Amino acid sequence: MDMETTLAPKMTAANVNVFYGDKRAIEDVSIDVSREHVTAFIGPSGCGKSTFLRTLNRMNDTIANARVEGLIELDGEDIYGPAMEVEQLRARVGMVFQKPNPFPKSIYENVAYGPRIHGFAAGKVELDAMVERALVRAGLWEEVKDRLSESGTALSGGQQQRLCIARAIAVDPEVILMDEPCSALDPIATAKIEELIHELRGRYAIVIVTHNMQQAARVSQRTAFFHLGVLVEYGETTEIFTNPRQKRTEDYITGRYG
Amino acid sequence: MLAVALLIAGLGAIAWWTGRTRAAALARVYDGRAHSLPAHHGWYVALWTIVPAVIVLAIWSNFTGGLIYQAVLASPEAAALPAAGMERATVLSEAYSLAIGATEQSFRPEASGIAPAYERAIAFYGWIGFGAALLIAFAGGAFAFTRLTPRFAARRRIERLVMAALRIASLIAVLTTLGIVLSLLFESLRFFSMVPVTEFLFGTHWSPQVAIRPDQAGSSGAFGSIPLFWGTVFIGAIIAMIVAIPLGLMSAIYLTQYAHRSARTWLKPALEILAGVPTVVYGYFAALTVAPLVRDFGLALGIPASSESALAAGLVMGVMIIPFVSSMADDSIAAVPQAMRDGSLAMGATRSETIRKVLIPAALPGVVGGVLLAVSRAIGETMIVVMAAGLAANLTANPFASVTTVTTQIVQLLTGDQEFDSPKTLAAFALGLTLFLMTLALNIYALRVVKKYREAYE
Amino acid sequence: MSDALRIDPTDWRTDTMRRRIRARYAAERRFRLAGLAAILISVGFLAFLLITMFVNGIGGLDWTFLTGSDATDPDRVGIWGAFKGSLLTMLVTIALAFPIGVLSAVYLEEYAPRNRWTDVIEVSINNLAAVPSIIFGLLGLAVFLNTMHLPRSAPLVGGLTLALMTMPVIVIAGRNAIKSVPPSIRDAALGVGASRIQVVFHHVLPLALPGILTGTIIGMARALGETAPLLMIGMRAFIASPPQGFTDPATALPVQIFLWSDEVSRGFVEKTSAAIIVLLAFMLVMNGLAIYLRNRFETRW
Repeated sequence: MDMETTLAPKMTAANVNVFYGDKRAIEDVSIDVSREHVTAFIGPSGCGKSTFLRTLNRMNDTIANARVEGLIELDGEDIYGPAMEVEQLRARVGMVFQKPNPFPKSIYENVAYGPRIHGFAAGKVELDAMVERALVRAGLWEEVKDRLSESGTALSGGQQQRLCIARAIAVDPEVILMDEPCSALDPIATAKIEELIHELRGRYAIVIVTHNMQQAARVSQRTAFFHLGVLVEYGETTEIFTNPRQKRTEDYITGRYG
Repeated sequence: MLAVALLIAGLGAIAWWTGRTRAAALARVYDGRAHSLPAHHGWYVALWTIVPAVIVLAIWSNFTGGLIYQAVLASPEAAALPAAGMERATVLSEAYSLAIGATEQSFRPEASGIAPAYERAIAFYGWIGFGAALLIAFAGGAFAFTRLTPRFAARRRIERLVMAALRIASLIAVLTTLGIVLSLLFESLRFFSMVPVTEFLFGTHWSPQVAIRPDQAGSSGAFGSIPLFWGTVFIGAIIAMIVAIPLGLMSAIYLTQYAHRSARTWLKPALEILAGVPTVVYGYFAALTVAPLVRDFGLALGIPASSESALAAGLVMGVMIIPFVSSMADDSIAAVPQAMRDGSLAMGATRSETIRKVLIPAALPGVVGGVLLAVSRAIGETMIVVMAAGLAANLTANPFASVTTVTTQIVQLLTGDQEFDSPKTLAAFALGLTLFLMTLALNIYALRVVKKYREAYE
Repeated sequence: MSDALRIDPTDWRTDTMRRRIRARYAAERRFRLAGLAAILISVGFLAFLLITMFVNGIGGLDWTFLTGSDATDPDRVGIWGAFKGSLLTMLVTIALAFPIGVLSAVYLEEYAPRNRWTDVIEVSINNLAAVPSIIFGLLGLAVFLNTMHLPRSAPLVGGLTLALMTMPVIVIAGRNAIKSVPPSIRDAALGVGASRIQVVFHHVLPLALPGILTGTIIGMARALGETAPLLMIGMRAFIASPPQGFTDPATALPVQIFLWSDEVSRGFVEKTSAAIIVLLAFMLVMNGLAIYLRNRFETRW
């Protein structure tokens, strides 16, 4: 890829507010997400980090009374603008959810679904190649290549989550949003996912929401600390964890609350 | 007709294939990624081919009836027709049946003379409609085809159509409700313009036979509906509930609290079968087997008994309602928090004491709501009472006597050849309206009770 | 602790307490027995009914009966004519009620905004499900026959009327089936860029299908056994030859049973019971199929 796109921020959010009915869940958040960094959102539960994450690919659209104000851009394009098709946006900004949620279909069908609905593959051969590439990148290929027709729900929890990552990768996204992707997994599966995040870094802009501070410290280069719907502090992960500027960040990191 | 439908469907299939191929070809030469799949483009072209053509055909077929009629009257054969009136109408309708091949022979010789004119007119206007539809299909398909580009949002447009279909489907229920209310109301108003509302609501004499000759005794008929509503309540809300409440409630308690797993897997489906038996079967059973038993029993007790009795109908209806009461009770008892039962058992109460003193009082609102729904179902039941309760509008509390119900009378009034404007047939709609309002009120109230009860434990 | 406040533990071995316990245990047994009696009476009644019909009707089940149509002589009557009427009626019913019911369920469960209009639709559907069937007959008579002038006694009108009655059942079953598909599946599909229509037609509906089909079969079984609405629209004609199409005069299986039950000739008792055996056999098959589908495909998430 050319240098320009890697240096410019992939996504920018400026003065974003999110409302559920009359309640303001996110207050005036501005943040940049770049391709060469993994960005972690941390904060106590209910602080709005997941809500904010879901505004980045407009998953909040499905909630009836949710309303987003402010500007969010992907490569300079307003993602809430009239020219943006929400289906294309979600293909470009993929998402991995808290609980592994494979379709109750075969492993192959899980990965092939995205390319199919977007018409990416001209034929079976091309589709096979796409499925294989996505599974390889998600580090799952070796484990499942002989049983692609088995149900995705029959895999272990960690494998299911990597299958979900493969499913997101298969539509060739530019950004991958991960909403506490390891919260339902055991430590070994968690380690595998974290390793995978390292490998994917640079190819995709990755944003990960986590309630686990050690995980944020391990996988991310940038960290944003949310509290009560406000972005308290955002900066280099090492800075945030060793030398936070805000008192509230320090209190949270040292375990005073959360 | 079938041929036209097949042809349009065929054109649609061709359009689908053409659109799809074209879109796939466009996508290949285009460097970026297309908005929609080739199949979406195919559907887009196909829908533009089929839908306008079908609409045109539908509108046209509404007009052709009149046009054909005019053409036949203007034809040379029509000279032999009798003057306008019943005569001519019968001849024409016979000729029409001959022309479309529904009948082979006609009773009237004039009809076979007219039939060729009909055939010509039908063919002529049929071809016009067919040609127009074909033209529209091609025009629609061509229009859609020219709009295809890789950036064209075919999926968006098809999805908008699907959404419209979903919305229309959900409207049908509202239209049905509206249809029920309006048709009942309209016919009832006509009835009440002939028979005063007060007589209908408060009269105690029901004898809807309208005399054939005006000078006959009781020529206007009597439409006091009190005996009917008494019969309905007596059978549906009193006798049937005396059977269904204890049996249904105790069955539910036994099934949920006492029965072994293995017994439950057999007994529960058996109860469900009881709910699935068609009411006409219950009615026949009531009339054939239960009614004679009830009559003999009544006579043995020295009570005047007739072969059709409130008791026979009520007993069988009660049995029909048992599974309904039992499943409502089952739900209500299951909704009582486990903690309440544990609390009672933990201080040494026996199971039956826990059920009687804790579970049932706690579940009572839910059970009452279920019973009200059961009553609403019982009073709207038709076949059992038609076959076993009788037609005599008696105002009696003797369960061995024959009584009649609202539904029985509706069936009675509307079967057989009636002219539709007589108070006799219109009375059926007035009865229907009252029945509808009664069941509606019961249902709304019962659902509210049940809902409140559920919320209390959530 | 002072002596006045000390309470001796209950002595459970005294005669009074023992009598009490025995009485309570007896009450427990009586209650349990009453429950057992209740369910045995209910099931016993079903057995009594089935056996009566079987004994009365089994002699009437022969080839002539299964292939013939109505006649005035009880020895020559058959049910094929009525059965074909039922079949045509059911075809019209399912062709209308299934798509409309499923589409409404999808709309209400997946897309309908929470507003007053949606409430009106929901209240309509819930109430229609509880409206007495004879009212649908009155609706059919007033709208399809007297206003739209469709042919009397025809399977087309019978099917239309029963479709309006069955549709709410399918909507309610469909909504429950759709509701039980976990939201995470919808999120997953939306997350890779599926449109809301694609989410429903690619994922939600296929997963909800067993539940929808179970509800549909139960609704159809109910429609098959329905008599009163068909009487209202005149499907009680004497049909000596099976109907050839949707607009021919016809009758239906339950209506035929009703008509024969009114005949005075003794021979009709056997034929009526035989027709009931056939009808019940169909009911059993349909309900069995529904139970099988429910057990076979029901997924617990």
